[in-house]
Amino acid sequence: MSGALWPLVKLSLARDRRTAVSSAFGLAVGVAALVFFVSLGLGVGRIVREKIFPVDTSLVEVVPAQLSFGLLGGGALDEATVARLEALPGVERAFKKMNVRAPAVTIYRGDFFGRPLHMGLEILAVGVEPDFVKGDVMLGEFVDPGPDKPIPAIASTRLLEIYNKSFAPQRSLPQLSAQLLAGFIFPIDFNRSFVTSTPPNASAIPAQGQLVGVSDRGLLAGITIPLETAKRLNAAANLDAKTFTALSLKAVDPSQVPAIVAAVKGMGLRVDDQDRRMAENAGAAVAISTSSLALLSVLICLLAAFNIAHAFSASVRAREKELGVMRAVGASRAQLFRLVLAEALLLGLVGGVVGTTLAVLGGAGLDAAAARLLPEFPFKPETWFERPAWLLAFGVLLGVAAAAAGAFLPARRASRTDPVRVLAG
Amino acid sequence: MSGPERVIEARHLVRAYDDGARGQLTVLDDASLEVNAGEFVAIVGRSGSGKSTLLHVLGGLDTGYRGQVTVAGLRLDGLDDAALSRFRNETVGFVFQSFHLLSGVSALENVLLPARFSARRVGGLEGQARQALERVGLAAHAARSPGRLSGGERQRVAIARALFSSPRVLLCDEPTGNLDTATADEVVALFKALNQQGLTIVAVTHEDRLRAAASRVLTLTGGKLS
Ligand SMILES: Nc1ncnc2c1ncn2[C@@H]1O[C@H](COP(=O)(O)OP(=O)(O)OP(=O)(O)O)[C@@H](O)[C@H]1O
Ligand SMILES: [Mg+2]
Repeated sequence: MSGALWPLVKLSLARDRRTAVSSAFGLAVGVAALVFFVSLGLGVGRIVREKIFPVDTSLVEVVPAQLSFGLLGGGALDEATVARLEALPGVERAFKKMNVRAPAVTIYRGDFFGRPLHMGLEILAVGVEPDFVKGDVMLGEFVDPGPDKPIPAIASTRLLEIYNKSFAPQRSLPQLSAQLLAGFIFPIDFNRSFVTSTPPNASAIPAQGQLVGVSDRGLLAGITIPLETAKRLNAAANLDAKTFTALSLKAVDPSQVPAIVAAVKGMGLRVDDQDRRMAENAGAAVAISTSSLALLSVLICLLAAFNIAHAFSASVRAREKELGVMRAVGASRAQLFRLVLAEALLLGLVGGVVGTTLAVLGGAGLDAAAARLLPEFPFKPETWFERPAWLLAFGVLLGVAAAAAGAFLPARRASRTDPVRVLAG
Repeated sequence: MSGPERVIEARHLVRAYDDGARGQLTVLDDASLEVNAGEFVAIVGRSGSGKSTLLHVLGGLDTGYRGQVTVAGLRLDGLDDAALSRFRNETVGFVFQSFHLLSGVSALENVLLPARFSARRVGGLEGQARQALERVGLAAHAARSPGRLSGGERQRVAIARALFSSPRVLLCDEPTGNLDTATADEVVALFKALNQQGLTIVAVTHEDRLRAAASRVLTLTGGKLS
């Protein structure tokens, strides 16, 4: 619009300050609600995605078929099948995984980071290729050390979080970090169990584990050890040391995952997407609640738009004579339309900026309150909110758009003011 | 071409209104008018004879007529809204019986109103507005709002607003109709002075004193000027 109209815009808003303030306030409430809920949804979604279910979207977890297909030995993950899977289009590489098929327990008795601890725990161990956890190994080489040496073991990031936030506080055990844990040695007895009966001919294989790092890719309820160690232990226990428990296929690109999944299924194998599904379900739950709250906020904005429509209709009616005078001194219909619309746009801008600011401040206040008032719990975030620039821009834009929508008809009505009629007398 | 410049040339104006059940009410019926630069024309006629209607047609406010209107060389009939608005903004100035000032806004801001809709980007608008207020003798009251001015002063602010864009002709509809005798005399004197400075004025009126000030008087009867 031509800048010359601005003095008039400011003038008429200043003359009817009460209406202006209430119109902008309504918009601010709607915009604030929307920005607040969407930033909360994005924040919680991110916590779910990155902390609770840190799913690597380019990984496909292949597991053997439940039933074997006889003749070809189909359904098992042997070296030949692995080679075929690795050759699938879109697969960058395959990471072999083999569970230690013998049961295992850890019985700890002694000093645990300065506290006496006596505890027995059934544990699972999975062997993985060193490259699979390469980035997370903090101590030594992640390779099979051979018998009689501590087995390098990696714990799950999620397990550590659960330990720190709920297990440790309840038992007054110390808080631990990956740095503190690295080097920690603990006993493991393979071929021994608290819960299942071990085969009568099996004798316990005593060993030691040494934590060398913490990883998102670590087994949640157990330890992750070198693949060769798992093979060696299985062989020692006279168990299957040839076929793999699972194979992680790393896709060149996440978009290729569906094609890879289809190919895997076509080979008679299964894909373990439990984690992915849980992540998707949790993500969907967050998305649905966020959307409904966002919808509610949009309704508030709609209400604010109606409020503006109402206020501006009244204002245009009251200013009929003035608008007629403006026509007489040279205002075109388009200029009167723009004049009224500009008044609304200014209110919308103010409402949008104020609302967005309120939402940001409210979120920051809530974060501060949560940090002080809520007890520690697993995955408790530092911030519950995520505010990308586009969201803030959208908040302001929503205010402007709602105001413009509300003022559209009144502006058109203003533009159609008939000067001859209203100036008569 | 010799002789004085023609400012208004209106030919065969017909303006009719739908008058409900009675059909059409023809207010202007083949009215024609010519006004030369520097003239002060008074148009008289009974109430309801169509004086305001004629003024609205000449000033480009009314478009529902038939006939031809040329003002300052510009053919008005057939112009679109933007062009007609620009014409009102730059070429004519209206003065109404009830002033029609923006309330709650200073006299200066009222005089500046035409500038808000002008496409001409010229500096010194405020100085121009002050000059217009000076011409009507209200320089001292520039900051006052209409609510704090007398009726005569309000009408002079309205005249300053009409003068702001240096129009070719002033179109006045009962400019003294809402003023008491003494104030009306002052306003008429102002019109006379402005006319002597060369401004062309067409004023519609009932009043003898305005008629007396005019250089030519036309009567509107039966939709025609004579
Ligand atoms: N919009 C309209 N619809 C119908 N009739 C109208 C309309 N506007 C004006 N008229 C009629 O047209 C006639 C002329 O009106 P106009 O206002 O031009 O008269 P006027 O000479 O200015 O009268 P006055 O001296 O009282 O101001 C009147 O009879 C009036 O009722
Ligand atoms: Mg009239």
